[in-house]
Amino acid sequence: MKIENAKAQMRKGVLEYCILLVLDGKPLYASNIIQALKEAKLIVVEGTLYPLLTRLKNAGLLAYRWEESTQGPPRKYYELTDSGRKFLGELENSWGELVDAVGKVKTNKSE
Amino acid sequence: MKKTFTINISGTVFHIEEDAYEGLQKYLVNLKNHFGNNEEGQEIISDIEARIAEIFSEKSNDEKKIVTIDMVNKIIEIMGTPEDFAEEEGDEESSTVESKRKRRLYRDPDHRVLGGVCGGLSAYFNMDPVILRIIFAVVILATSGAGLLAYLILWIAVPKAKNTAQRLEMRGQEATVKNIEKSIKEEVAEVKESYKKFKESDTYSKGKKSMAGAGDVVYNGTKVLLRVIVIIIGVVLILSGFFGLLGIISSVAIGQSFVDGWPLIWSPKIYVPGIFNHFVEPGTVTFGMIAIGLLTGLPLLALLFIGTKMVFSYKTNNAAIGLSIVGIWLIALVALIVVSAGQVGNFKSQSSITDNQTISCDSCQTLYLKLAEDKYENYAEIDFDINDFKMMVVDGDEVMLGEPKLDIEKSGSDNFTITIKKASRGRTRENAKESANDIIYNYQLNDSTLLFDPYFILDEEGKWRDQDVNVTIKIPEGKAIFLDEDMVKIIHDIENVSNTWDAEMVGKTWVMEPEGLTEKKTVEEEEL
Repeated sequence: MKIENAKAQMRKGVLEYCILLVLDGKPLYASNIIQALKEAKLIVVEGTLYPLLTRLKNAGLLAYRWEESTQGPPRKYYELTDSGRKFLGELENSWGELVDAVGKVKTNKSE
Repeated sequence: MKKTFTINISGTVFHIEEDAYEGLQKYLVNLKNHFGNNEEGQEIISDIEARIAEIFSEKSNDEKKIVTIDMVNKIIEIMGTPEDFAEEEGDEESSTVESKRKRRLYRDPDHRVLGGVCGGLSAYFNMDPVILRIIFAVVILATSGAGLLAYLILWIAVPKAKNTAQRLEMRGQEATVKNIEKSIKEEVAEVKESYKKFKESDTYSKGKKSMAGAGDVVYNGTKVLLRVIVIIIGVVLILSGFFGLLGIISSVAIGQSFVDGWPLIWSPKIYVPGIFNHFVEPGTVTFGMIAIGLLTGLPLLALLFIGTKMVFSYKTNNAAIGLSIVGIWLIALVALIVVSAGQVGNFKSQSSITDNQTISCDSCQTLYLKLAEDKYENYAEIDFDINDFKMMVVDGDEVMLGEPKLDIEKSGSDNFTITIKKASRGRTRENAKESANDIIYNYQLNDSTLLFDPYFILDEEGKWRDQDVNVTIKIPEGKAIFLDEDMVKIIHDIENVSNTWDAEMVGKTWVMEPEGLTEKKTVEEEEL
């Protein structure tokens, strides 16, 4: 079991959650999302993001619209759909539970 | 100095240097292989391309928008390669990294000796091109050139791998059984998808929905089956085309069909050069041979071509080749018709030469008719028979042999006479007479025995003009002849009082009575 592998699995688990989180409230286009995720060191290469966005979109959690850009080609702005917001709510709950669970395991051990 | 191309990425035009172009294209092909060619994959790719265009626009802020190899490398670093994705995704789906690109047959311009056919084939079959080249050379030598034709066909028909994408396709997925199965499965999935779409469309929803499941299965199964059948047919076409050509070439070159014994596949049984020389003037021989060669060879070439296309499923170079082949074939057909029509004139007139000889043998009561030794019995007989003509190869020369016809009649005089009538056809009476004169036919008289040659011969230059030799022996009343057993080969419908068949007449003595030829009873029979 490689440590890189384990880390990647963990990151992968929360990546979708984080994408929804970033998009919560305001529509963004891919570069903005990448910016945010890169700053959080959740992804290294941008190519990873696009399949995820497409998958979330196809699952009905995200929608996009085209917007003209002053520089370069028109941009795809992603935003949460209603079911996406619902999905995010559920993920927030389970994330809270997860954090609690990990915290509990840690404190129990140290006692 | 570097060459630049103009490319359009996601609607924005860039100038890109040659090496950068190669690098970028290779990268995009890799991505396409990774994400697959379905709708989702295409969407991902177009998103990534949009992002690449954006980054390029940012980096090349000057107006000329020139993309360098450094920028492409930077892009790859930012976007990541399929290996990077696999790493980030925790290696779980690393199997998708495996190239999904179907292998196609191309000519390999990087590893070529002549046209790159062997190079491309070796990439297709994943083997060393040197081995393939040796095999090819041996096949060409062994088939006296037919293999070379196969090579030329592939050279003409198989496209050259011009760009990186095609080069990758050339070395694409290995054509193992597992991969073929995989590609068929993928195809089936694709069909399913389009079928589903069709189902959702208005036209279908009016139809029966319960049939959907069953129809799906039948449809997919049929498609896979069809593919397999196409490959099998392709292989059969290749083999028959190849061996057919082999037959033609070897028959032209050696004069004998090389594939006579081939059990499964049709092969043309033509011995082109030999036959032709004996029918047609030398000038038209070459002409007619070329026409026949094209008439039979081109369809076989087409078979070979279609077969390879079915098996390897490469893209065709262009339609002009096919059209011009059809054109040449039609021209050859017309040419052959014209040549044949011209030959009919050679049979217009008829003439004959008659030679009478009295056999001076006063003491002979019975004339013994025998057949001379068959000089040609031991020579290879070419399997060719027209109007009782045979063709033989004697010491390398071709000889045309014809069977004479022998008849027996009553003589008006007191002597045995023998009449030999040589007849022939020709363009004019003179031509016909000349041809008749060229017929060689001999017999020998020893005491009371007549020895007949079993064949008459047309000399080397002689053309077949429906030549004929009729031998008539006239017997005076009261005298007899004895027909040797061998004579059955040349006697022809001899009239006799008992209406005995030719085959029954031999081995017996026949007496010319006033009413006709009568079988002479042996002494013992008379006594009985």
